Amino acid sequence: MIASPARSSYHTVVVGAGIIGLYTAYHLAHAGAGPILVLDRGFLSGGASGRNGGGVRQQWETPATIRLARESVAAYRRFGREFGYNIWFRQSGYVFVAEDEGQLARLRRVNAVVRGEGLVSRVIDAAEVLRLVPGIRPDAIIGGTYLRTDGILYPFPALWGLYEAVRALGVEVLLGAEVTGIHAPGGRVAAVETSLGRIATEHCVNAAGGWSGELSRRAGLDVPNVATRHEILATEPLKPFLDPMVVRVSDGLYFSQTMRGEVVGGIAPSTTLATRLGMGSSLDFLARMSRGLVGLFPQFRSLRVLRAWSGYYDDTPDGFPVIGTDARLPGFVHANGFGGHGFMLAPASAQRVARAVLGEPSDLDPHLFGPQRFSEPGRALPTERLQLG
Amino acid sequence: MSGMPSASSPEPPRVPHVGSPPRKGRLPLLQRSIRYHRPRAPFCGVGYCTNCLVRVDGRTNVRACQEGFDLPRMKTTANAWPSPSFDLLGIVDVVFPRGIDTLRGFRRPAAFTSLYQRVVRRLSGYDDPPSEAAQQPPPASIRRIVEVAVVGGGVSGSAAADALLRSGVGSVAVLDRDARASTMSGAEMLGRTTAVFLPPPDPAAARPFALAATNDSGQGVEVRARSVIVATGGYDASLLFSGNDRPGVLTAEGAFALSAPGPPPFNRAVVFGGGERAREVLARFPSRISAVAAPGDVNPDLTRLASEQGVPLYPRSLVLSTVGRRRVRGLTLRTRSDGPSFRLGADAIILAHRRVPHPQLFFQAGALMQWRSRAAAYFPIVSETGQTTVPGLYAVGEAAGVSDPAAAVRCAQLTATSIGQRNSSAPSSSNPHSLDLPGELEGYYRELLRQPRGSGKWIACPCEDVLLHEVEDAERRGYRGIEVIKRYTGLGTGLCQGRYCLPDAILLLSILEQRRPSEVGYITQRPPVLPTSLGALASFADSPDEKEAS
Ligand SMILES: Cc1cc2nc3c(=O)[nH]c(=O)nc-3n(C[C@H](O)[C@H](O)[C@H](O)COP(=O)(O)OP(=O)(O)OC[C@H]3O[C@@H](n4cnc5c(N)ncnc54)[C@H](O)[C@@H]3O)c2cc1C
Ligand code: FES
Repeated sequence: MIASPARSSYHTVVVGAGIIGLYTAYHLAHAGAGPILVLDRGFLSGGASGRNGGGVRQQWETPATIRLARESVAAYRRFGREFGYNIWFRQSGYVFVAEDEGQLARLRRVNAVVRGEGLVSRVIDAAEVLRLVPGIRPDAIIGGTYLRTDGILYPFPALWGLYEAVRALGVEVLLGAEVTGIHAPGGRVAAVETSLGRIATEHCVNAAGGWSGELSRRAGLDVPNVATRHEILATEPLKPFLDPMVVRVSDGLYFSQTMRGEVVGGIAPSTTLATRLGMGSSLDFLARMSRGLVGLFPQFRSLRVLRAWSGYYDDTPDGFPVIGTDARLPGFVHANGFGGHGFMLAPASAQRVARAVLGEPSDLDPHLFGPQRFSEPGRALPTERLQLG
Repeated sequence: MSGMPSASSPEPPRVPHVGSPPRKGRLPLLQRSIRYHRPRAPFCGVGYCTNCLVRVDGRTNVRACQEGFDLPRMKTTANAWPSPSFDLLGIVDVVFPRGIDTLRGFRRPAAFTSLYQRVVRRLSGYDDPPSEAAQQPPPASIRRIVEVAVVGGGVSGSAAADALLRSGVGSVAVLDRDARASTMSGAEMLGRTTAVFLPPPDPAAARPFALAATNDSGQGVEVRARSVIVATGGYDASLLFSGNDRPGVLTAEGAFALSAPGPPPFNRAVVFGGGERAREVLARFPSRISAVAAPGDVNPDLTRLASEQGVPLYPRSLVLSTVGRRRVRGLTLRTRSDGPSFRLGADAIILAHRRVPHPQLFFQAGALMQWRSRAAAYFPIVSETGQTTVPGLYAVGEAAGVSDPAAAVRCAQLTATSIGQRNSSAPSSSNPHSLDLPGELEGYYRELLRQPRGSGKWIACPCEDVLLHEVEDAERRGYRGIEVIKRYTGLGTGLCQGRYCLPDAILLLSILEQRRPSEVGYITQRPPVLPTSLGALASFADSPDEKEAS
């Protein structure tokens, strides 16, 4: 029983009801754009936005990413008042930990960039890591960096709050409806082809997360986005013992303790399994992740894993998301390529997406974020490589 | 004993391993619930619910039933201060009769954010993290390479293993959570071993199935097999009413487990159920049952036994609520079709109205499931030979919906023979809706939801203390389907991973959403089947100690 669209034509059709799509619809509706329709072929929270670790950090390698993250932190601080749902955004910091001097040197460089942006991150020694992460094996780390205003949030209420807010603003959200193609007779978006039939629209926002590459290709566009499966697990709920999110530089092992007390975390996937097995889990992940945690906390051998799940990162070659109108197909706006960090960048990024839809000038460097950057000849531009946690 | 085909791995044992239950004829209060600090006592008695978490030898969140209720060894302070019978935080339950709204509450004033967070975090979780490092690292994982792996060594699993060996299948491994390790006429019994993860088979591999399990020594066990027979049995499901989590609310299995050996921890219990399972309970506790109530009609055998014992029958009854704060002191019921409501004095209610299979391994492996309305549960779709829709994966016994022990044995033999002769057929019906006619319990719940709610809490998910009205509120706000309701309310995300709450929740949603239970969906079954230690899982990361059976 799927409802059908209330109108025959829209100003904007947003594909994907994840955090990016919903935030984009919110900014558009708020700016008073015409009728907006959000389509998702799955259920609300079925994409990466309902499967992530809830980490929100501002420690990045490039000032451009730091600015988006910083603005998003401010938005998440207001979220409860603005949207009526409590996302339990807990600013108790991110600790990056290094196991050798090489890794620490890298973190020092990151720290300098972050401080350059006016954030008070710090390089910390092993003793301080121990203080922030009680119980961690002292000889497992030599030091790291720490930014107290980073934090974690509970992703689901963010989706509920946005879902209810956009509907209250008149946005239609149809779940269980798939976009199968783009109708662009004059080389410009005129309609989207969907499982509910053709729906006329002036703009189409590709906020399809891990499936954004698929959607772009359905629109006849060649894009470099790659979907990578990432797994994650949660342990039994414990009384609070850990405040910050912890990320190990060497293998991307990350974990935090949620408001509910579960230890939630993941690790960079082994390459062979990254694109296989749908949304399933693998023993390989369970084993590597458990070994990582037990290596840091030998006393946790008896701690039990409750469940494991997985989702897709939407990765780009340079580590920056893709935000803006595709010059090859006017009306087709990208809001994708967020890798493992779309939640923490969503509020600020979606605002830029909305501006692109409305044809307003953007403050984002097109060489870093624009869809055209991948076809620029002889490009030697910065990359965002702190793709951890 | 229960007379059902014996349950088996990954299902918890029917009888505790060692020691004996408390002898006072009372259920021990072992812990407080996660949010509202409600008193909780053993419910299922066999290791799936979360009502008996204790700390033993520095290990946290251990289920007391799994250690034989060896109370002197156990620290019964999980989530309670100073003690489970008198817990100061129990005030939370009284102060918030409608529950605490963590979704929309605690947002104002902004200056209180971190205070709120500290308080709510403090209320979450059952126990502190383990603090003592194990003396020595766990042994390396072991791997067995066999023709057929049988999960569950109960009546049907053993029958299948025997028949496999007789029909000339070379190598068989049986995994069982209770049994001790042994070799039974050629088959290796991997005792005290719990299957936790059965990924979909890899058709390109010589042994497509890679079943992961853990054993009592905290070791990972991997079994590579050509075929897998799942004989994991079923369990007695829960029931929704006001105060349905009170100490004294028990399942039939729980009542059996808590009374073997030793006296039952109740003196005048009401049995709920109108069929064979309820009759078993009545037969087992002749002098301690004060009444039998049933959701519908009562079958003749049960009627006969009840009249022999002089136990009154209350057919077609809704259970509305328990009486008593700390323990069950009575029950309020109402005769169905808006009949009169009435009270029964009782110190326990024993739920024996339905059994449901353990569906986890089937879901994990990707087998198609079918909702059967009469049982109000999901079962794997199988052919006559027990073949599921995943080639090489079979279901036997109660896991396949065959509850009569003799029939279960015959079916298991048929399955084994067909594997031996390699002539298994795919199941013909793959329509998950085919048996989707309304069952008795659907009508029961439809009527129940129309009843006035009273003042007590209706706990839709005891692990996470999710209340019925929270589920209804989510539906009213437009959230639909079990996957979304799970994420919205937290129902099904607790320590038992939904075993306790899901069977009823699916029925509930189908009524609230006015669609068939099969359309409400089922929560994707994530590994592990049961909470599994990081140590055991980590042992899979090293190269295993491998053995190929001849
Ligand atoms: C395991 C894991 C951990 C993570 N941890 C973090 C973290 O700690 N912090 C952080 O900031 N980020 C994290 N991320 C990343 C973050 O979750 C994502 O970047 C973010 O959720 C992306 O949001 P989205 O709205 O773009 O995509 P999604 O939430 O995936 O939404 C896309 C939606 O598009 C729909 N869709 C796709 N194709 C179509 C179509 N053709 N028609 C209709 N609908 C379609 C899908 O059904 C889906 O619902 C993590 C991700 C994973 C997988
Ligand atoms: S009762 Fe255990 S998850 Fe709901």
